[in-house]
Amino acid sequence: MRRTVLVLLLLLGFALAQSDTLKVGFIYVGPVGDAGWTFAHDLARQKTIEALPNVETIFVESVPEPEVEPFIDQLVAEGAQVIFATSFGYGDGVLSAAERYPDVIFGHASGVERAPNVMTYMADFYQVYYLNGLIAGALSESNKLGYVAAFPIPEVKRHINAFALGAKEVNPEAEVEVVWIFSWFDPAGAKEATEALIDKGADVFAFTEDTPTVIQTAAEQGFPSFSHYASMLEFSPDTVASGQLVNWETIYIDFLQGVIDGTYTSENLEDLDYFWLLQDEAVEAAAAPGVVINPVHEEALRAAIIDHPEFGEISVYDLVFERLAQMEVAEPTFDPFTGPLSDRKGNRVYAEGEQATLAELLSLQWAAENVVGPWEGEP
Amino acid sequence: MDFLDLLTSTSARALAFSTPLLWAALGEIYAERAGVVNLGVEGMMILGAVAGFIVGQTSGSPLLGLVLAAGVGGVAALVHAFIAVTLRANQYVSGLALTIFGLGLSGLLGREWVGQPLVNSMTFVTVPVLSEVPVLGPVLFTDQYLLTYAGLVAAALLWFVLHHTRLGMTLRTVGEAPVAADVAGINVMAVRYGAVAFGGVMAGIAGAYLSVAYRPSWGEGMTNGMGWIALAMAIFALWDPLRAVGAAFLFGAFFTLSFRLQNVFPPELLTLMPYVFTIVALTLVALGKGARSFGAPAALGQPYQRGER
Amino acid sequence: MSLLERLGYRLEQRPVPPGRVVFLVTVGAIVAALIVTGIIFSLFGVNPFYAYATIAERTLFNFRGFTEVVRKSIPLLLAGVGLVLAFRAQFWNIGAEGQILAGAVAATGLALFVPLPVWLMIPGMFLAGFLAGGLWGLVPAYLKVRLGVNEIITTLMLNYVALYIVRWLINGPWKGASATGFSYSDKFDRAIWLPTVGTTRLHWPTLLLGLVLALFVALLLSRMQLGFEIRMMGQSPEAARYAGVNFLRTTLILVLFSAGAAGLAGVGEVAGIHHRLIEPNSISLGYGYTAIIVALLARGSPLAAILSALFMGLVFASGDIMKVALRLPFQITGVINGLILMFVICAEPFLRYRLVRLSAEHRRGLNGRGVESAD
Repeated sequence: MRRTVLVLLLLLGFALAQSDTLKVGFIYVGPVGDAGWTFAHDLARQKTIEALPNVETIFVESVPEPEVEPFIDQLVAEGAQVIFATSFGYGDGVLSAAERYPDVIFGHASGVERAPNVMTYMADFYQVYYLNGLIAGALSESNKLGYVAAFPIPEVKRHINAFALGAKEVNPEAEVEVVWIFSWFDPAGAKEATEALIDKGADVFAFTEDTPTVIQTAAEQGFPSFSHYASMLEFSPDTVASGQLVNWETIYIDFLQGVIDGTYTSENLEDLDYFWLLQDEAVEAAAAPGVVINPVHEEALRAAIIDHPEFGEISVYDLVFERLAQMEVAEPTFDPFTGPLSDRKGNRVYAEGEQATLAELLSLQWAAENVVGPWEGEP
Repeated sequence: MDFLDLLTSTSARALAFSTPLLWAALGEIYAERAGVVNLGVEGMMILGAVAGFIVGQTSGSPLLGLVLAAGVGGVAALVHAFIAVTLRANQYVSGLALTIFGLGLSGLLGREWVGQPLVNSMTFVTVPVLSEVPVLGPVLFTDQYLLTYAGLVAAALLWFVLHHTRLGMTLRTVGEAPVAADVAGINVMAVRYGAVAFGGVMAGIAGAYLSVAYRPSWGEGMTNGMGWIALAMAIFALWDPLRAVGAAFLFGAFFTLSFRLQNVFPPELLTLMPYVFTIVALTLVALGKGARSFGAPAALGQPYQRGER
Repeated sequence: MSLLERLGYRLEQRPVPPGRVVFLVTVGAIVAALIVTGIIFSLFGVNPFYAYATIAERTLFNFRGFTEVVRKSIPLLLAGVGLVLAFRAQFWNIGAEGQILAGAVAATGLALFVPLPVWLMIPGMFLAGFLAGGLWGLVPAYLKVRLGVNEIITTLMLNYVALYIVRWLINGPWKGASATGFSYSDKFDRAIWLPTVGTTRLHWPTLLLGLVLALFVALLLSRMQLGFEIRMMGQSPEAARYAGVNFLRTTLILVLFSAGAAGLAGVGEVAGIHHRLIEPNSISLGYGYTAIIVALLARGSPLAAILSALFMGLVFASGDIMKVALRLPFQITGVINGLILMFVICAEPFLRYRLVRLSAEHRRGLNGRGVESAD
């Protein structure tokens, strides 16, 4: 018995001595050039290598969701010790592969199920969408905001609601009109959905789709819009007002550092869920890195003065930065999903002062009062 | 929004959305009229899209991009023509191979060009006086691309050529009765090469419409299945260029309606309508006039060799 | 005078190429494709010998890798054998993709909503999938025989109809309670998942079904009256009509089998791999279209479809290896797959013709002329 332990220790020693580099595999659902979700993950991968010199990465693009398992097999064969699977639909495959490779560490982006060697992570935009909503509510002249949405899942619903709550805070008349395209990638669908919203009178646009199509389409009429996942400012420098940017590397670097330190092993990840927000610097409210509000829109937002219950007379421009400051600190003093909140059917969702829990946000199904449009699974 | 608004806005968007479908379908109609099926439309379109973008971006002229895309589509089609006409190998596999190849190659060539806005894109046209005409004004003459008008003109022109000129007669004979055409001194091979290449040119333009006008940027796989719809439309139009206009419009209308009527009707079921319509329409035509009236070229998909029969 | 004739040869049309020629020509085409692919590898800075060694090692000489090759070929085999049968009767079924989806829908419906005893469930799903796939094919079959409506169009259209129906089901009525809003159905009960080989994804019952089906279709075509009628319909419809073949009946039966086989493939995918109804383009990664290639490469032989299905499975699996082990951009797999297909069909003329040495007299005559003209 003791000898076995000794041999094992020796083997472990060899293994550690030989591998001072950590091999990390990334599995992407789209091409790195999709300008959206996958692009952002790959940018983060590159920044991670810069920050952690001992990390070596392999990535594979455009892996169909049900095909993830054979790719995990191959990455393991290539010596990957940590594998990040960056799409919700990889869940089943990751969990099944994790059982077969108990020594490999897995990270599942936007996942919900974990295992001793599977952690989940997500950089979420809901606070950012709320900030974008403030801007949109002030910029709209028709009081109709358009939202081109991918799938009616909690994540997207949460973002639409946050956007609508922000808009309502500065403009009680503002409504968010939603059109679903049932795809993460469908440029033609996004284009026609935007056109449909324009015809319905919408004049400010947010979206969940992996191309700058909505921005380009809205720009043809000069309507403001918001970057999604990556900077899309260059696609229309005069109309992109702000946006949602992600810094996945904050999560990747933190987690991999933990793996290198030995804090995270293939046995203790069962409860590890990174749900990182503004205060973690995982996300950013900006049209392009550092450009919180496009200077083009500054004047209009400074001119939009409202009487705010918390801040009194304040311009929307200043309100955005006040709210940003409240949410950026380590212990945020404000959360968009704080009561009193009702859904659009008139049911009270949160009482005065009550705040949504993480679990509630992750399974959110209700629609905010000023959201218009079909809403599958509405309670 | 009242019904008239819905009608005009849907029609206007249907026209814009269906423009690439129309261009590609017109090309395929000519290829099939000459007796050659080309399942490579999607591949030729995406090659056109990437070529159009790269050239448009480097030269600053979207028109130049369009011209080169047409050429690239034509060259890609010649590969198919060589396999299908000269080698007389299986046309269906050849077309599928061209699509797979085109999707891959375009992605490879476009890697460096992703995520850039096109410097100069084709802009909307609003025809001054005509856009004021009620109903027709907003549908036809407001915020449309020149290529949309060009597509409609092309359809009319191609219809005229096909049915009322010697060239059209030659084309149809080659597709209907290659043996007779050969006997009559027509170079069957040359006509087929020409028709297939023309189909490629049209598909290339269709692809470039997407990358220099409709959504002026390059994105991997940006044709997203439009080539296949164009193929279906060529048949739905019963190989007639004018009917293709109607077919394209119908596909476009249902597609845009699926975003406009979401409150009332499941969008998936609206999107599948044109396909059901195609089957129903063909059945009704068959019930009414018998299958012969379809106008399917009799020698469609069959290779021709001199002296074979 | 052609170059060939100067050399003393001419091309002669060959009525039916012997099996050995088909095999040699196909292998020759694949070798040619491998050489071109090798050049592409070199262009991307990868040693082609290393590339092929790696691909072979990970697909053919690695247990898990090999099971993945076979797994990928299962739906191609089932749908491909079905298409071989249909193509033999000149029924151009382009609709295997939709028929696969129809089978998947039927199996899901049974698995989620019909309380059957567990032991009955797996055969039940296959039966339901077979019938659903078959029915999806019967519409075009009936329209073709009765009204002369082109089956290429109708089967192609029905692919899209099936695709959007699946999308509608998973976004609407069949959306799973456990899917947290994602577009999936609920998961099947674990007891009715198809068994697999070890921890791999090789759902062997479906594979077995495919092999049995290939044998059955081979027998049907060579030994049975129905097979004879099918071949006659394909080779010479007039003769078949004269011989009293009932076109409607025969077509319906053969399409039921052809489309039903694709339906079985759909059952295998949902019950063996995904265990729920998912996005249609994820249920079938274009298997129905690839099966057309499988059937055409098999050149009318159901047994050859076993080989061509494995070949296509290998091609796809190799693409996966290129992405990871060789670090090649993923788009290159499309370029290479397209080229391989083009090479394989470009070899077709070699099957139709053979090189014949001209008779001595003829050659002399030619040479004589050749000498004269040289003067």
